[in-house]
Amino acid sequence: MRRRNVPLIKVSDLKVVLRRLSAVLLFIIAFMTILLSKVDSVAIEAVHKVVMDITGPVMQVVEFPSRVIHRIYTYFYDISHIYSDNQELRAENKQMLILQNKVRTLEVENQLLERLLNYVPPAEATFISAKIIAESGDNFTNMLLVYIGDEYVQKGQIVMGDESVIGRIDKVSGHYAKVILVTDINSKIPVVIERTRVRGILSGNNTETPSLIFTRSSADIQEGDVVVTSGVGGMFPSGLPIGFVSSIKNGEIAVETMADISRVEYVRIVDYGLSAEDENLQSELMESENNAR
Amino acid sequence: MRDSWQERLRVFLLHRIPLAVTFALMFLFCMPINSLQQNYFRPLIGLICVYYWVLKRGYIFGYFSAFCVGLLMDVYSSSPLGINILTMMLIVFITNISARYFQNASFGLGWLLFCIVGLVTLFLKWLFLMLYFKSWLQPQEILFAYCTTIMFYPFVAYLNVWVQNKFLPQERINE
Repeated sequence: MRRRNVPLIKVSDLKVVLRRLSAVLLFIIAFMTILLSKVDSVAIEAVHKVVMDITGPVMQVVEFPSRVIHRIYTYFYDISHIYSDNQELRAENKQMLILQNKVRTLEVENQLLERLLNYVPPAEATFISAKIIAESGDNFTNMLLVYIGDEYVQKGQIVMGDESVIGRIDKVSGHYAKVILVTDINSKIPVVIERTRVRGILSGNNTETPSLIFTRSSADIQEGDVVVTSGVGGMFPSGLPIGFVSSIKNGEIAVETMADISRVEYVRIVDYGLSAEDENLQSELMESENNAR
Repeated sequence: MRDSWQERLRVFLLHRIPLAVTFALMFLFCMPINSLQQNYFRPLIGLICVYYWVLKRGYIFGYFSAFCVGLLMDVYSSSPLGINILTMMLIVFITNISARYFQNASFGLGWLLFCIVGLVTLFLKWLFLMLYFKSWLQPQEILFAYCTTIMFYPFVAYLNVWVQNKFLPQERINE
């Protein structure tokens, strides 16, 4: 009687082994990806670009109905508040007229002083607008996806809502850009207290109120002080408003952002005429400033 | 008899349905709601879908599918690339172990199990993020994320049950 040839390993067993091996391999890839993210590798940027470009058009389709619903809600909300808004605006207008006269006088005075001192003003910033098409899909992070590609914007540029800074460009693909909001833990922006010119770094902490860090303990900072960009490092123009000091407790300074994210449909991206490479200069400056403190 | 290529293609496409449904739901929950505050209440849809499909149809939704879901989550958040990938793969690992005992569990028991699996994985994700950033992250965020995800579980799970009964009714489809 002939004996049947029994294979050493069954095909089904081999499949199980391969499946387990691939799982181990995927775990290793995940760990490697985290490590590469830490060093901000070019490969990671490329992965972001590819995924954003593939999934971006889907997000644009999904965004449309949400935007329509939001517009309808805003329309009725605005109508219900039309009288009180009108009263507020009238009062504000009176104050603005007084301020306008003061500004004109100061402008003339400023021009005269600039001429006297041979002062070279910084480059004029230009703006470009972009539409928000997605928000963060994660509770641990605060980001936006906007419809604008690398032809117009680059990493590090500052992003504004209606009147104040809301974040900076983190990643750019062919047609989409990822914006890190000032509240995100990755966000670090050099700022200054408008009233006292005390410098610091506005550091996001994933809450609604980012912290003002690297300020002297004896610095003159009060609740309600306006926080603006300092322009240190050269990536951001100076004097752009971000928020105001909302509380000072045990040396921790919390800043409330001015921008009303719930009303922002389009963002403005500020181009200060500097390239992304200058970000290194900015981080170096920030580091040296921190060391000095 | 060997299956025709049409049959193989049909089975292949059927097996990709859970991943497609997961992606569609994730896109839907990424749409702008124009509020930073409401972002804290956004449920982690990927987490629910990965748990559900691994528990119910583990043979078609494995580590590779979880890898893809995690990658999409990472790109649509500012967390470092790899954190969500690792979290999603950990769900597959934990759920695979529990699937041996709970695959045919009732809806309520499945929900209860998700409460435990979700808490463990979100806690691990929180630890990974703190290790990565080398700073303390507020635990409120993990609790908000956890609570909203738990509350959304029935809605997402029922949708997945419908998809499962409609397209993947058999225990195993001609593998």
